[in-house]
Amino acid sequence: MAHQDFSKKKALVIEDMAEARIMQRKMLSDFGFGSIEVAMKAETAVELLQTQAFDVILSDYNLGKGKDGQQLLEEVRHSKLISNTATYLMVTAETSIEMVMGAIEYQPDGYITKPFSQALLQRRLNKLLETKEKLYDVNVALDKNDHAAAIEAAKIVIAKHPALKGRCGRIIGESLLELKDYDKALSLFNSTLKERKMPWALFGKAKSYFLMGELEKAEQSFKQLMLDNRFFVSAYDWLAKILIRQGKQEEAQATLIEAVNRSPKNLLRQIELGNISLTLNDFITAEMAYRRAVFLAKHSCYNTADVYLKHLESLVNMTNEGPLSSRQRSHFESTLKKVHESFYDDPDDRATTYGYDISVHLADHDINGAHQIYNTWLEDIKTGLTSAPSKQQSLKYARAFGG
Amino acid sequence: MEKLDISTILASAIHESKNQVGTLLYQLQGLKEGVANKEPHHKKIVVIEESLKKLNDEWVEYLYLYRLASDGYELHVDTFLLDEFLDDQVFALQPSATAKNLSLEYRCDADLTGTFDERLMTAVVSTAVYNALRFAKSKILISAIQENGYLLLAIEDDGVGFKPKPEQEEAFLEGNTGLGLYFAELSAAAHVVYKRSGFIKKESSPTLGGARLCVYLPQSSQETIDLG
Repeated sequence: MAHQDFSKKKALVIEDMAEARIMQRKMLSDFGFGSIEVAMKAETAVELLQTQAFDVILSDYNLGKGKDGQQLLEEVRHSKLISNTATYLMVTAETSIEMVMGAIEYQPDGYITKPFSQALLQRRLNKLLETKEKLYDVNVALDKNDHAAAIEAAKIVIAKHPALKGRCGRIIGESLLELKDYDKALSLFNSTLKERKMPWALFGKAKSYFLMGELEKAEQSFKQLMLDNRFFVSAYDWLAKILIRQGKQEEAQATLIEAVNRSPKNLLRQIELGNISLTLNDFITAEMAYRRAVFLAKHSCYNTADVYLKHLESLVNMTNEGPLSSRQRSHFESTLKKVHESFYDDPDDRATTYGYDISVHLADHDINGAHQIYNTWLEDIKTGLTSAPSKQQSLKYARAFGG
Repeated sequence: MEKLDISTILASAIHESKNQVGTLLYQLQGLKEGVANKEPHHKKIVVIEESLKKLNDEWVEYLYLYRLASDGYELHVDTFLLDEFLDDQVFALQPSATAKNLSLEYRCDADLTGTFDERLMTAVVSTAVYNALRFAKSKILISAIQENGYLLLAIEDDGVGFKPKPEQEEAFLEGNTGLGLYFAELSAAAHVVYKRSGFIKKESSPTLGGARLCVYLPQSSQETIDLG
């Protein structure tokens, strides 16, 4: 095995335990890595990944209170914060490995089980980077979103390196889905399944059916996946999507609630639950989901105004039943403050926020407070900081403030 | 008080202890770095390190054994180049063999591939090798071949070989409970392709004369994927 030259490579170590962190950093520096950054938690890692590109990411699965290593991986791969050519090595314990292997949709490039020696880590890294080199053309094409090229490159890799057949087969199947060539994708996944029940192939089959609009067949495959893999919570998300398409909104909501209970730290799932709950006018569930989403969004790739505004919207909708309780009120204030801090530059978001704030004050029969906010709003419109209220809003305010 | 399942308690107790072994290993590694190779303490540290590693591997085996026996193990197969897989095994176990002045080697075709659960087979091979370390006179060999639709992983040594049946009771008294073989059997059987399950065979080694443990893992007959 040829030894890799690490001197031009950048590494990121993510580990919450000081002892292990120092050890791993030392190991990587002994291997000759040109630069090594360290993060103590997933949230810090996201910030580093947003500003720098890394070749190797060594992340512990267990990262204390925040996101775990798998959630971090899913987030940064989903949002393409790390390129396909970068290597993600997960450090696991015997119990956490099941969660990592069971994730199916987003898997690390490799894993190493604690405890490991310096020699073993070096060997793993060498091999992983060697494999990445073999797959280089494939991954470059994937990074460019050129799926046709990725398929061609993957076929060449299979011919040269038969051991990578499974890996390349999966890439080809998923690229075919991206190219909307569902029939071809389905037949690839089916022919793999004929040989062996590989979870990724069953997942591919389920997705193919979903994309072809064969919802019942898709449902069947996803249910099978859920039975086979206890830790594959994403199957619930897909099942919910199917139920929504079938018009079964309530069942979709129940499915998402189950998924959220199993894995509460998934931001996109909380948002999805919030969205469906809003359409069902179930504002209590919506508020809870968005409140968690607001909490999770802060240090993530999905930190957009929408999450915060939806949380406020759920609370405003609750005022139809009467004024907010003091607890709900403080949830409102807390999210409102965050909007003021981070998203007040957008004129439309600002106007939406003013509207919500006035509604909550009006529900509380605090006419003066509401009026004051309205006046500030009108001032802001003059200076062009925000957009004007809608006609409906203007009528409502005219009635409320007698202006 | 609610009665808890004793096997679950044992499994989590093992897990706790295993984590402590991990911490000890890390600390020992730090200690080893501060001691020069030639110092007498260095050798002792290596002995402790090897024992802890073995303990760790054994507990991994017991954890998997528990899951396999209670149906809680989810098999995760992938395709591997056997040359790499066996090289990994020898790499991890070499220090233990060297400490006992035994040679440990592997043999397989350079382009042989096989599909199996890597973690499980790593535990099976290490269990078999640790066992062979107790009996081998000078050599242990790990090998892999493709045979009638099965991948055959064999671990053999030049010791006295498996004893005939009547003496097995004695082996039990010596502390060899056969747990390792049971583990290998369950691990092999967890691999299923088209209703063909994996299995193990105990025999004597035709080349080395000692014991030979054969682990048969079913492979797919047709090795092509319709790539579209």
